[in-house]
Amino acid sequence: MHHFTEDDLTLYYYGEGRVRGDIERHLESCAACAATYCEIAGTLAMIAAPEVPERGDQYGLEVWQRIRHTLPEQESSAWAALAAFLRPGRLAFAAAAAMLVIAAFVAGRVWPGQPVDTPAVSAPQSAGTLARTIAASGDSRQRILLTSVADHLDRSERVLTDIMNAPRGDIAAEQRWADDLLGASRLYRQDAVDAGEGSVASVLDELERSLLEIVHSPSRISAADLEQIRRRIDAASLLFKVRVMSDELRKREGAPDRSTPRSSTSTRVTS
Amino acid sequence: MDATETAAVLARARQGDSDAFRALVEKHSRSVFRLAFRMTGNEQDAEDVVQESLLRAYRQLGRFESRAHFGTWLYRIVANCSVDLMRSKQARHDQVRGDSLDEAMELPAADVPGPERMTQSAEIERRVQAALRELSPLERAAFTLRHYEGRSIDEICETLGLGTSAAKHSVFRAVKKLRVALAPLQSQES
Repeated sequence: MHHFTEDDLTLYYYGEGRVRGDIERHLESCAACAATYCEIAGTLAMIAAPEVPERGDQYGLEVWQRIRHTLPEQESSAWAALAAFLRPGRLAFAAAAAMLVIAAFVAGRVWPGQPVDTPAVSAPQSAGTLARTIAASGDSRQRILLTSVADHLDRSERVLTDIMNAPRGDIAAEQRWADDLLGASRLYRQDAVDAGEGSVASVLDELERSLLEIVHSPSRISAADLEQIRRRIDAASLLFKVRVMSDELRKREGAPDRSTPRSSTSTRVTS
Repeated sequence: MDATETAAVLARARQGDSDAFRALVEKHSRSVFRLAFRMTGNEQDAEDVVQESLLRAYRQLGRFESRAHFGTWLYRIVANCSVDLMRSKQARHDQVRGDSLDEAMELPAADVPGPERMTQSAEIERRVQAALRELSPLERAAFTLRHYEGRSIDEICETLGLGTSAAKHSVFRAVKKLRVALAPLQSQES
């Protein structure tokens, strides 16, 4: 009688091997092979998959925050480089940028000058560009987006302000609020990226990092940890950027002003 | 993210668009971690593998063929990163790993707990973990893919870049070592 090896029986256990039918018939008539197979199957059945530690919905974002500053150079072939240079999106972006420059030049020559009291930070300037682009295109969906982003920034500002002024101890309420804002922030940032506004996306990105830090801190936070969060918000001038951008988006879109005039607030805020 | 969207995101990521790559990271990180943990059996090592795999994927995106499935391609990178990490740990700790099954399976007598100290399932788990630690990185990877991940031998070959014989041999050796390690428990049951 031809017996099967342990390796054959292992493959059989896993549903592999080319002689499965033969093994099946053999096991019915050979006690020795059947015993060996029982032993192999019994052992392997004992080995359950290890329980994988849970990772939350925000895990992907946490991983991204860890690696984003260490992204290496991509290996690229000559074709890939050429394709990258000639890709339609880039050409379209270049054309759009050229049109904007020309439009801005003509507008500057024709329209009377206005005093500009906007602080010289890049985010509001790009928000203005975004607004002009959208106004020119007459895209109502994008207008709604702008208003939504401004609202989102207002809500985020309130959370950040709460954190900056929170008494030491429990920040559970702020954390829940920040958690709610986090998902929306990611969507708006992606929309800003899609609209080609890197600087707007950049501020939303900074905001997202702070929100993430707040969400992942212990709710009974120590004074030192809270101070560290505040220092980082402060160092990034985040409140300032958020306020100024929100103001700018509202001004450009002609949306109703909030009860508190933001421009006056923003000028008081210094990093 | 549907197939069309994924293709568009991938195309942008391949052009070096880090925001597009971010979308991929956010989508795949949890599954990457799951595989990395099963491969390494250690949370911290799994985190290291997650990071290294994603950085490696970003660097090699130009090699990714758009007709392939990104998840499968990334899976392969994670499996190989896990093997690399296990190999480097092995080298670092300078563990002399004998090929003898007996040597590999020896557990200190004092470590064997009585029934009052531990349930049988915990004891099985302990012995399985001890036995898995004694496997070579390739054996462990092949066994993980076959046993936990349900991958066929052909898929293991493709994932780990092995020939059929090498893949089978790795699984067989792993199973033999585990059988030796778990034999005392098996005889208790029977």
